[in-house]
This record gives sequence, C-alpha cells and structure tokens, in this order.
Amino acid sequence: MFEIAYGSDGEIICRGRLDAAQCEKAQSFMDLVEGPKTLDFMYLEYISSAGLGILLKTQKRLTESGAALRIINVNNHIYDVFRYSGFHAIFDISARE
Amino acid sequence: MHRQFDRSFDSLSALYEFAEKALMAHDIGEAVRFPIHLAMEELFTNMVKYHPDGDLEIGVDLDVEDGLVTVTLTESGVDEFDVTRPREIDTTASLEARRPGGLGLFLIQHIVDTLEYDYRDKRSTVVFTKRSGN
Repeated sequence: MFEIAYGSDGEIICRGRLDAAQCEKAQSFMDLVEGPKTLDFMYLEYISSAGLGILLKTQKRLTESGAALRIINVNNHIYDVFRYSGFHAIFDISARE
Repeated sequence: MHRQFDRSFDSLSALYEFAEKALMAHDIGEAVRFPIHLAMEELFTNMVKYHPDGDLEIGVDLDVEDGLVTVTLTESGVDEFDVTRPREIDTTASLEARRPGGLGLFLIQHIVDTLEYDYRDKRSTVVFTKRSGN
C-alpha cells in the first residue's frame, strides 16, 4: 500500500511502502509538483531504488527553476538508504525524531 | 520456505508478504527485515526489467538458521547478468551530474553480508545472506 497526497499545510505526505510497483502513482503525482515543497515521510515505512529515482528526477526538474524538495521525518532505515546513495548531499533531509 | 512468483512488478506485494511472514516467524527484527526486503525487491525487479522473455515464474527461497537469513532467487530461460558486478555510482556527484538508474544493485552491496551469483544452462541463481544477530 502506498498513498501520496497534499497535507493541510501544503506539504506532501507519503504513506506506506514506495516500491517499484507504486512508482507510476508516485511519479504521476510528483510530475505535477511545482516550486519548493516539503515531503513528509512520517508515515513512509519503506523506499527502494525505484522511489529514489522519482525523487532524483523531481529534484533535478525543480532545481532548474530555483526550487527544491525538502524531506522531513525520515525513519532510520530510509535515512540509511539515502546515505548509501549519497542523497543526503543533494536533498535537505531531516530524520524522524 | 519456497514460493514461485510471476515475473511482474505486481508480484512485489506478495513477495513482501511471503518474506515478512517467514522473517516474523523467526522473530527477525525490523533492522534486519528492512534490508532483506530491499535486497529482495531490487534483485526481483532486476529480473523483471532485464529478462522479460525469461520463464514466467521466478523462484524465491528464504531460510533462517542459527540467526542467518539466506535468500535465493532463481530464474530460467535468461541470459547471464552478474548482479555482483553493479555499475559504478559516484555517490559524491552533484545533483546535475546524477542520473537515475543503477542504484538498486549498488545499494545491495551495502546492505547484505554476502552476495553470490551462478549461471549455467540459461539459469541464473542469486543467493544473499544477512546475519540477524538473533
């Protein structure tokens, strides 16, 4: 199960497991995102390289117009995946407290 | 435990449930289950993406013995693809220089303890292990 939707403050809330089977849903949503945005991963349990690809593609598109994604409430396991991938250097990421 | 899965991204949910049930039965903690699920997905989706003409089903075995989790994925009717030799990824590259793709096999190198590949008679077998500490 994976869900992605805007929260009440304009943040993008991801929920569940972002695996390769869910990428079409995530990509369709992210393709419509404009300007700086915060992704809230409080309820995201899991991400694989397919999901990382969507984040990278979106970040590259947004930075061309001077914007960027910020990712908050990242769990320890997903943070490790970001770190191994070097994504912690190209995204503003904060861990879940 | 052994199960056959259709060669499709649609099998990922069933693959997750299969592994979760087996790992939970052995009280394997989340810190180990997460990388096992990730490695399984990356290897399985690699087979789906790069061998679409292979035999319909991919076999998956998951065994736990003395705290060591061993996962084996087997596919037939395919060309050789050595997953232990991923393409190099420069994780220090700038955002502009980064390109999507290739991260999956690269990640596996960091999250499993051992990874082996065997190819014979049009049949690929991938085995990885992860120590649980249980």
